[in-house]
Amino acid sequence: MFALSFSRLLLQALPKQPVTPRATAQCIRSLTTSQQDPLKKDDMPIKMENPYKQPPKTCILCNVTVDFKNVQLLSQFISPHTGRVYGRHITGLCGRKQKEVSKAIKKARSMGFMSVTLKDPQFMKDPDIVGIKHFE
Amino acid sequence: MPRYELCVILKAMQRPETAAVLRRTVETLFERGAVVRSLENLGERRLPYKISKHNCRHTHGGYFSIDFHASPNIVSELLDHLERDVDVLRPTVLKKDAEVSEAQGCGLQNEKAKGATSR
Repeated sequence: MFALSFSRLLLQALPKQPVTPRATAQCIRSLTTSQQDPLKKDDMPIKMENPYKQPPKTCILCNVTVDFKNVQLLSQFISPHTGRVYGRHITGLCGRKQKEVSKAIKKARSMGFMSVTLKDPQFMKDPDIVGIKHFE
Repeated sequence: MPRYELCVILKAMQRPETAAVLRRTVETLFERGAVVRSLENLGERRLPYKISKHNCRHTHGGYFSIDFHASPNIVSELLDHLERDVDVLRPTVLKKDAEVSEAQGCGLQNEKAKGATSR
């Protein structure tokens, strides 16, 4: 019984929450050293460029010059069945490049470089950069 | 002086005759006070569609490109002269623009941001 009461006393004496030292590193420093160093703080975040930065999104023709003489490149943006120019939602090009491509295709057609109603058979085997799914 | 490009499709002919036509064309340019920069052969190929010119249906042709500097007054005369030439199938004169710098980068990011904010 005496032991129980003694333990109870001890429990009451001990604080219920863990005690955190009120004196932080700064306070101790200010208490101990006379020189004050408010700017130099070890726990402030280091200034650096965003490490999770993604490369800027580019379209496939970003650094490629579009020319009406480059019929092979232009033929990749037309339908193999009808020879029609694909829209922006299919090609995925940015506004500027889509305009350049469509203008170049029309120029090439009128100047006699590219066919209007079909795609040149020698360019049929070219890799598909547009990603259109034709109805099978 | 502005810079032009003459893209001409000639009839499929033998080498000396093609040379003669090109010489004729370049001499006309010189007569009208043009400064020819370069003359390129883009190859003899099959035409993308049959071209009927000067009472004849053509399937093959030689493609040539002439870069030159000239005054804007001569362009219409030159085209007229080439249209009358029997060996020339399709002459086209284009103006060469100053090259636009690609340093601005792709506008794809801005377009996507605009699309997101507009909705």
